Amino acid sequence: MSADFVTVVSGLPRSGTSLMMQMITAGGIEAVQDGQRAADADNPKGYLEFEAVKKLKEDASWVPGAVGKVVKVISMLLFDLPATQKYRVIFMTRHMDEILASQKEMLKRRGTLDDKGPSDDDMRKFFQNHLNKVRNWLSLQANIQVLFVDYNAIMSGDDKGIRDVGEFLGSAVNVDAMKKAIDASLYRNRHG
Amino acid sequence: MFGSRSHKITIDNELYERLEKAAQVAGHASTEEFIIHVLETTAPASSSADSEEEVRKRLQGLGYLE
Repeated sequence: MSADFVTVVSGLPRSGTSLMMQMITAGGIEAVQDGQRAADADNPKGYLEFEAVKKLKEDASWVPGAVGKVVKVISMLLFDLPATQKYRVIFMTRHMDEILASQKEMLKRRGTLDDKGPSDDDMRKFFQNHLNKVRNWLSLQANIQVLFVDYNAIMSGDDKGIRDVGEFLGSAVNVDAMKKAIDASLYRNRHG
Repeated sequence: MFGSRSHKITIDNELYERLEKAAQVAGHASTEEFIIHVLETTAPASSSADSEEEVRKRLQGLGYLE
């Protein structure tokens, strides 16, 4: 039986969302993507993103066509998902120090690092506030099921998160193929 | 310290005595100063709106928002 929901990979940028997109597509679920954001030093295997997600609030006409597929929607844009569809959200978590370090490298490469911006300590609090808000909101949405997956655990070889994704998405995804998509050499910015 | 407005809160004796001792141990000049220090370091650095705006700016810088 074909899925009647949209699979969404979410989380903060640099929390492992691209890896999870790669794993799920390797597992046999088609990604909603446009290839506009090409692979680079920050994501050598590509971002698997869809530019239209950024304008979800203005135009969500593509969402019904995403049923049975997987799309990346960063945490802040989850609020804009139309309530007329069902979603299964795989929400990536990662040690905050690693997220901040990886984001900083990406900002430097993009030339958008603001030296006068918030300190890491402040940014950590801002992100925690944001994540608390997102988690609370998600828990109240009747049309959304959520699975939190720990990036650090996956990269340390613990495959429980992968098996959980398999159960969460049902028979549509091949768990063994998902495991093979993991490239441990891309685990940079390790904490501690 | 709180601009033009200030607020009083009620703390029971047992907790206040614990805070008083902690303030002395931490070397604060007064129990009130210690309590304010604890509250300032525990509360979010700025308002919820400011916090969300900083997250938005960061995501824009990373190319995830327009």
